[in-house]
Amino acid sequence: MNEKPTSRTRETLQILLANRLAVVGLCVLALLVVVGVIGEAVAPYGINDIDIANRLTGPSGAHWFGTDELGRDVFTRVLVAARVSLQVGFIAVGFALAVGVPVGLVAGYYRGTIDAVLMRIMDVLFSFPAILLAIAILAVLGPGIGNAMIAIGLVYTPIFARITRGSVLVVSEEVYIRAARSLGARDGRIILRHILPNVLAPIIVQTTLSLAFAILSEAALSFLGLGVQPPNPAWGRMLAEGRNFFQQAPWMGIFPGVAILVTVVAFNFVGDGLRDALDPKQKSVIESRGQSV
Amino acid sequence: MRAFLIKRIFQMLLALIGVSIVVFALMHLVPGDPVRVALGTRFDQDLYDSLRADLGLDRPLAQQYVSWLGGALTGDLGVSFRNGQPVTQLILERLPATITLAMAALFIALLVALPAGIISAVRSGTGLDYAVSAASQIGISLPDFWAGVMYILLFSLTLGWFPSSGYTQIGDGIGEWIRHIILPAMTVGLISGSIITRFVRSAVLEALNQHYVITARAKGLSEWQVVRRHVLPNAWIPIVTVVGLQLGFLLGGVVVVEVIFAWPGLGRLALTAVKDRDFTVLQGSVLYIAFMFLVINLLVDVIYARLDPRVRVS
Amino acid sequence: MTAKMRWSIIILMIACTFTAFAGGRGESTKTDDAATAVEMSDTSILIAAQGSEPDQLDPHKTSAYASFQVLENVYDTLVQPAEDLSMEPALAESWEISDDNLTWTFMLRDGVRFHNGRELVAEDVVYSFQRVIDEGLNGWRFGAVESMSAPDDSTVVISLKQPSPNLLVSIAGFKGMAIVPREIVENGSIGTNPVGTGPFRFVSRSPDEGIVLEKNPDYWRADEGFPKLEGIRFVQIPDAGTKLTALRTGEVHWIDAVPPQDIESLAAESGITVGRVPGGDYHYFALNQNRAPFDDARVRRALAMAIDRDVIAEAAQFGAATANQTAIPASNAAWYFDYAPYRAADVDGAKALLEQAGVSDLSIQFLVTSDFPETVTQAQVIAAQLAAIGVTVEINDVDFSTWLDLQGKGEFDAFILSWIGNIDPDDFYYAQHHSTGGFNFQGYANSEVDRLLDAGRVETDQAARRALYDQAAKLIVDDASYIYLYNPDNINAWRGDVQGYATRGDNAIRFVEASLQ
Repeated sequence: MNEKPTSRTRETLQILLANRLAVVGLCVLALLVVVGVIGEAVAPYGINDIDIANRLTGPSGAHWFGTDELGRDVFTRVLVAARVSLQVGFIAVGFALAVGVPVGLVAGYYRGTIDAVLMRIMDVLFSFPAILLAIAILAVLGPGIGNAMIAIGLVYTPIFARITRGSVLVVSEEVYIRAARSLGARDGRIILRHILPNVLAPIIVQTTLSLAFAILSEAALSFLGLGVQPPNPAWGRMLAEGRNFFQQAPWMGIFPGVAILVTVVAFNFVGDGLRDALDPKQKSVIESRGQSV
Repeated sequence: MRAFLIKRIFQMLLALIGVSIVVFALMHLVPGDPVRVALGTRFDQDLYDSLRADLGLDRPLAQQYVSWLGGALTGDLGVSFRNGQPVTQLILERLPATITLAMAALFIALLVALPAGIISAVRSGTGLDYAVSAASQIGISLPDFWAGVMYILLFSLTLGWFPSSGYTQIGDGIGEWIRHIILPAMTVGLISGSIITRFVRSAVLEALNQHYVITARAKGLSEWQVVRRHVLPNAWIPIVTVVGLQLGFLLGGVVVVEVIFAWPGLGRLALTAVKDRDFTVLQGSVLYIAFMFLVINLLVDVIYARLDPRVRVS
Repeated sequence: MTAKMRWSIIILMIACTFTAFAGGRGESTKTDDAATAVEMSDTSILIAAQGSEPDQLDPHKTSAYASFQVLENVYDTLVQPAEDLSMEPALAESWEISDDNLTWTFMLRDGVRFHNGRELVAEDVVYSFQRVIDEGLNGWRFGAVESMSAPDDSTVVISLKQPSPNLLVSIAGFKGMAIVPREIVENGSIGTNPVGTGPFRFVSRSPDEGIVLEKNPDYWRADEGFPKLEGIRFVQIPDAGTKLTALRTGEVHWIDAVPPQDIESLAAESGITVGRVPGGDYHYFALNQNRAPFDDARVRRALAMAIDRDVIAEAAQFGAATANQTAIPASNAAWYFDYAPYRAADVDGAKALLEQAGVSDLSIQFLVTSDFPETVTQAQVIAAQLAAIGVTVEINDVDFSTWLDLQGKGEFDAFILSWIGNIDPDDFYYAQHHSTGGFNFQGYANSEVDRLLDAGRVETDQAARRALYDQAAKLIVDDASYIYLYNPDNINAWRGDVQGYATRGDNAIRFVEASLQ
């Protein structure tokens, strides 16, 4: 039983790497991670180098992506923002995974009262208007990137709980799980060793898609004046500020906008590729929250 | 079927009570309160205390919640702290704008998604398929406020075809109604459409691979006859599911788009209520939004159960 | 089509009917509003776009500028600020002051009627003022008042505890002290259905139509031909870019503010007028003097020295502002005090002061709010400027409700905000810098300033009064109780067909003389 996940992983990787779009997506994401790590070090200017005399100037040799309304270098800010935006995505979705998957595992495995209670709580979160939930959470916790991540993460939690639970219900009926149970294996061991590996596929696919939506959520929250604190740049915040200057300085919005577009598309390519590789019949995943916050 | 329905409705009521408790608790945890906002920048402790007492905010939280819930059960959602109007009226006033926008957006979404999804599935692997995929990827990846601002600059400012803001009722002239609704509906609808396209494509693709479709092809039916008679009826379930979910979201108001287009919908009502700590309005509107969402979900599940009886069991 | 498909379509149709039913009910609640609006001829209805949503329409209880934009045109005050901000007759045609300066007698205009048809009497004035004192937000403005009475229907007598040279500004400087009829207070409709004596009558408020006002044909300036407009519709457009587009495309006639970066291009556009006057507003930041090291005036002064106000004004307002180290703008000639002790961006001077105070590695959290986006810009520029003297600025951008809460509890190092629409020096300084002032959240206490501000309240000789405020202002600036930044221009914009409207120094939005050509 131990070889099963390994060989499946290899098989999945092979199918994934045969998918050209997924490979492109993976390369883009790898590049973004590199930019996120070294961006601040290689950036030509500081993120808050204000230069009012040279505000709103177009792309040039000195400022590849032009300057913003305070004369700051847009290229620098787009580079540095890569880290912030990826962080928002990874940590928010990480939070949703860390809470949602255990809830789904427990609810699906034990069923009964525990299942009913946990899933009703998830229903509450799920039926709450997402952006209002995020705004209210941010208002309680105070603004800032850390809290924005928690807020976005909480919004995504019920999706992971539902998807996990749905798969667990199916997997639990499999012969080898019943066998393990009848042999007297401990619940924790059954869940971690036998169930989790077999419900990972839809969770992984949903993870990549949620990453894409989380990055868009940061943009929506920034538009409403929440999210990352100035002067720290994040793509969504830059885009939200840039919209007010679209006629004077379109570059302020175009470059962070393209950065978001490329990143979200890359995540979706990888997500689609994973879906094909893990679940060729495309059956299990319902993109439940098909909308950003 | 009846047992299934009763169970689902009971769950829905539980969720609604949960939502009301969460929103109530959240709003009382948030720093700032409606009285502080009403007083503005000047602060006077006596005035503050007396206004809080007037609004009943000095009572214990549990008591406030119970009296609010009691009112809600009889259809009385209280009075806005901010402008003194009944909350039920505030919500009802905004329903036409919210519902018409949701319907128009869904119409545009389906108008785009059904043909695009079916064609790209039937012509899967061709250039056309890639073009549709690319377009839907871009549609999903564009932040809604960005798309909205672009449409305003292009269609309102440059071309002068449509107004940039405002809402008129259908009753006041269908032409004006369309002119006002088209930009916000397009902003929302194309994003929803992009999401739905992906589902239509995969649902149709899956149905195309079934053995009865292969049999039908073997019988010499044309490709379009096959799609119409054998594929679409079977692709119906996942499509209904995703369309229902989208409708659920849209009926809750689309906050960002309502702000951009000055659309007098529920999303803006709730957003303003959060900002001003207008507890009664927020509780009322969130309860309504959650209710809409749950009702649509319930309907989708009923359709689902109707089409696929196995669902009822799980 | 299979039976199953038909079933699902039926269910979806039920869903649509359900929602449409809900929608129908919504519409029915306000058909009468819509009908009234439609009846008014569209040709001379001015459409005014506001950036934010008015809250309640009770002039005594609202603090929202958006509400006052509307109420300015519905209500009157006893007297009112003229365009040069001196006080001119309004509901009171004339007034007399007793020799001891303690009794003011106001003679009311004859034949003024409320919008409900009832004639205005002196008792209404006394009632309104009493209501402001008892439950309004501006009761503190009546601090000098001993008693009020209405000896007859057209006379109001106000007795004072002490001479009050700025009484007129205090009790009639803006519509927060509007004269209202008792009946709408008693029937509870004042918040939703205001009835005043002003040039326009309230008709309706709905999310679709906005706030609709119609001409008051019985207005007390009707014989001069005012108001000229048939009505006004205030619509709310929260996004500044959309609001600007709506003006450019002619969807609205007037907008309440122009994003600073667009002023230049908008002014150059034909068919659009940008009204721009130096305003009485000022922007500033304040340090929490209850927290070390901001209790040390040298530290505050160092920060006042390190910044460059011209750069901040240019950055935040695109030049539509005048840097100022005190509060009162040069345009307020009667009270302007030309005092600028700090050299711009004096890095060495600031560092020396910090060293004297024994402060190093200073980090300041600035409380700002995206609800007033210029505060965010200002904080970013200040952060960059203070970095030059080794001070770190951390920006805390919260919504305004939270902002007010934190400020009220004193939980801040520094906050940035602006004051709008002040006229008299008492408004500029007392509440903010007197140790007992209602807005002294920064915790400033200087007994000499207290003495000067108290004396200014009762000094009736203009020159002597001015000397008192000049001295107080000098101390406030030297102690850096507030660190003043600049006075922004007041800006509105309107389409060429709007005539007879002018942007005002006190930010009041008056359409009484406006017309549409």
